[in-house]
Formats: sequence, structure tokens, C-alpha cells
Amino acid sequence: MAVVLLVFALTEALPGDAAVALAGDQPDPARIAAIREAMHLDRPAYERLADWATGLLHGDFGTSLTSGRPVTQYIADGFGPTLLLASLTLALLIPIGFGLGVLAARHEGRLVDRLVSSVTLAVYAVPEFALGVLLVTVLAIKLAWLPPTALGYGTDLLAHPAALVLPVLVLLSRPVCSLSRLVRAGMVDALASPYAAHARRYGVPGARVRYAHALPNALAPAVQQLARTVDWLLCGVIVVEALFVIPGLGTVLLNAVAERDVPVVQGLAVVFGVLTVVLNLGADLVAHRLTPRAEVAA
Amino acid sequence: MTTHRRFALGLGVIAVPLFLALLGPLFTGEPGPRATSFTLGGDHWLGTDFVGRDVWQQVLLGGRTVVVTALAATALAYLVAVPVALVSALTRLRWLEELLMRPLDVLLAVPSLLLILLVASVLSPGAAGLALLVALVNVPDAARIVRAAAGEAAARPAVEALRMQGESWWRIAVGYVGRSTMRTLAADAGIRLTGVLYLVSTAAFLGVGVAPDAADWAVMVDRNRTGLFVQPWAVVVPALLIVALTMGTNLLFDAALEKKGRR
Repeated sequence: MAVVLLVFALTEALPGDAAVALAGDQPDPARIAAIREAMHLDRPAYERLADWATGLLHGDFGTSLTSGRPVTQYIADGFGPTLLLASLTLALLIPIGFGLGVLAARHEGRLVDRLVSSVTLAVYAVPEFALGVLLVTVLAIKLAWLPPTALGYGTDLLAHPAALVLPVLVLLSRPVCSLSRLVRAGMVDALASPYAAHARRYGVPGARVRYAHALPNALAPAVQQLARTVDWLLCGVIVVEALFVIPGLGTVLLNAVAERDVPVVQGLAVVFGVLTVVLNLGADLVAHRLTPRAEVAA
Repeated sequence: MTTHRRFALGLGVIAVPLFLALLGPLFTGEPGPRATSFTLGGDHWLGTDFVGRDVWQQVLLGGRTVVVTALAATALAYLVAVPVALVSALTRLRWLEELLMRPLDVLLAVPSLLLILLVASVLSPGAAGLALLVALVNVPDAARIVRAAAGEAAARPAVEALRMQGESWWRIAVGYVGRSTMRTLAADAGIRLTGVLYLVSTAAFLGVGVAPDAADWAVMVDRNRTGLFVQPWAVVVPALLIVALTMGTNLLFDAALEKKGRR
């Protein structure tokens, strides 16, 4: 609900007459009037908010200003590729992130750890587009191993797995680094703790201590980070779709921003915003489940 | 790797892009006549870009906007976040604290790039607008961190003593509580600058806050992508510089933090 209000307020409260701004550089009075009528700008803001919000509840997101198609259709068109990208990334992120973290923690202070730690620290801050463009230049153009963009494949990306490799790789770069760093820190702490030492003294095998005793305790901060990652994944998806010309929600959003198609932008912002809030809540619940102690303390 | 070597590595990585960004504009000559788009060699060391300008010249000019916008946005974010955090940590009025911090929580829930794009769809912000937007996105997180540190300092007996001595609110807030949050602030500033650099360059890549033909590394990467097959240098050089800039910032601040933590 707060998201809906914020989205509306942000697009609404900005200075200037929206209709004039939307009509472009050469304002045509007829077009301004048409936009005004389409957006019901002659009515007070709270009435429009009420209309829009009740529409949202019924799944009615309004219609696009430029094409007149309903916003829901835009969302339905772009949803497939974005969902595919996001779920593929998440499916790879969890094993790779945890794997690297555990690997580094097992060899704490040795070459493997230093290598993993340095690389993750370095890649962590790099914007996706710069990394992506460099990867495209090397892997797709110089070596010609992979297609440089997904242009011409349409929305059916699963049929062209080669086109998915680079986008997913680029999307993974930042979250993997942050996740593995957190898991490493948690594991190092957990492995040095008295209960891990105690379990070892009882003769519990090393692998069992690592995975059954230490890992669950290292998990809680990582799960919370996973929720923050959703934010990044979203930024990443927008950039990666632009970079690799994938017709997903990010591309729809960017086109709508470029055409100043406010209803489409609003609709997408609500979808993205609600998704983020729901995923954050979910991660909080999982984190609570993993650390019952925190609940008592809080 | 020792901290000193990591420090040196960070400095080494960041030196080139920072040098180009800050001093590059001094070395550019007169912009020559426009040549054909996407050519290699000839008079142009790195070839020409999508409208036939010299790439090297654009590289020299294009770093300043990224660095200056990022620094301005970071400074602006703290300019808002620190007073808000200090007031809400020291006030005894419950509603005032709620009023100050609650809206920030809502802002925190919305993905940052989404917020920037949302505003960009209605306004077309310039470079200053982009700095403001990125600062706005960073205020909630910064305010929460400073608030936590200030809250801890404000609960100390020293503050009670100052109050009983009849020191003014201003002296307690700025002179004592503000000063004791400096450490947290310094640690947070490094992380924030890295994040801001990321956001500023990504937004510029997506065309927010910059002219479509601006001399800006991120814009160069975006606009020259069409010629990637013929003239990769116009994309690779600015992309490498951005990678080095962000990577170096992160390495440098991480090493600096570790040094401080050990002491």
C-alpha cells in the first residue's frame, strides 16, 4: 500500500503540468488536451489516486498513453524473459555463492581463500554494464564463442541457451560476490566457535561439523543479504536487458521512461515495488526461522 | 595479502581513472573537425566514435562528470542524513522521531534504480538533478546508520552530565554526539561512495541525467555499442576505466577500514 502511494506521489507531486511535459518539445494544444483528458488531469489528485488504486485491486493498471494498449498487456509480454533471467540467476546464485563462501572459509588464510576474497571484493563494486560490455567484447566478438545479444530471438529465450549465458553471468557477478563474502565471514566465525571445536573433539567428522553444525549458523546474515540482493537483481535485470536487447520488463520500463508513458511506468513500478517488499518479507521470515535466538532477544 | 599491499593495489588501480577524470580536461586541445564514424587509426589514436569525434579526446573529457556527480551526491546525502539522524537521536519527542525516520523507511523499501527511473520519466534531470536523485536514494540508509551510532552516543552518561551542566542543545548535538559518530560516518562514507559511483554510472548508461552525446564514460559505452564490431576501443576504454574506478574505490576503502579496525 505504501508503495502504491509513493509511486503515485512521486509521479504526481513533481512540479509542472504533466500534460505539457508529456506532449514533448513542440506542444500541440490538441495533444495536450487529449492527454489531459486521458489522465483525467482536470479532476483533483485524490480522486485520481482512488480510481487508480481501486483499479489496481481489480488488476486494472490503466492504458498506455502512446499506444492505447492496456498496461497489463505490457507486463504480461515482458514477464516471461525477466522471470526466466531472474530465476536462472537465483538458481545459480545460491549454490555458487554458498559454495565459494564455504570453500574460502575452509582454507582460511591460504591461497584459495585469498584468491576468492580478493576477486569477490574487486568485482563487487563494478557496474554490470561495464563488466557486461567487456565480456561481450572478449567472449562474443574476439573469440566468437557466444552471441553478443539476444536480438532476434524474441521472447522464447529457452530455445537459445547460448544467448542466455552472458546475461546470467553478468547478473550473477555482484550478488555472488556479496553473498560469498558474507557466508565466508559467517563460516569462519562458526568454525572457530566453541561448539564446533567441541563437536570435533567428540570425533564428529569434519564434513558433518561444517555442513550440519557450522553452516546453519552462518546462514542467517546471508539470507538477509539475499533479500537486499533482490534490489540489485532488479537494477541488474534492467541494465542487462538493455545491454543484451532482451524484451523483458526492464526493456518495457526503459522504453516507457523514454516515451514518458506515465501509466506504464507507474504500473511497472508498482509490480517491481510490491515484488521487492514481498521478497524482503519472505527473507525476513526465513531468517527468523534460522535464528530463533534473535526473536527472544528482540 | 597484507593490508599495506592491498592499499597499494587499490591506489594503483584507481590512479589512472582518477588522474584522467580530474586532470584529463586540461590536456584536451581544440576539438578537431568531425571525421567519419567508427574509424580506426589515422590521426585518431583510439579511432572515432559514433558521430566521428576523437575517442581519446572524449575519454579525457568524460571522467569528470562521473567522479564529480558521485562525490556531490555522497556529500549531499550526508548533508541531509546527518542532521535528520542527530535530531531524531537526541529528541525526546516520540512523534518528531517517527515523523523524521518513518518516511525514510518507506523510501528504503523501493529499489533505488527504479526510483531514479520513475522520476526521470516525468522530469528530465540534468547532471545536478541526477546528483540530487542519487543523494535522495542514499539518504534513508545513511540516516539509519548515523542514527544508530548517534543513539548509542546519546545514551551515554556523558550526555546526561552535559545536560545537567546546562550546556546548550547545539553543543551537545554537534560537539559531543556528532563528534562521536564521526568514526561510523567515515567507515560508511567509503561504502556509500562505492555504491553511489555504481548508481551514477548505471543511471548515465541508461540515459538519465546526461545529454545523449555527452562526453561521459558511461554514455560513451552506451552510444558506441552499435559500433562494437568495427571499433571496439570506443567502448572498451571507457568501460575499463569505469571498472578500474569502481574496483579501486572499493579495494582502497576496504583496506583503509581494515587498517582502522585493527588499530
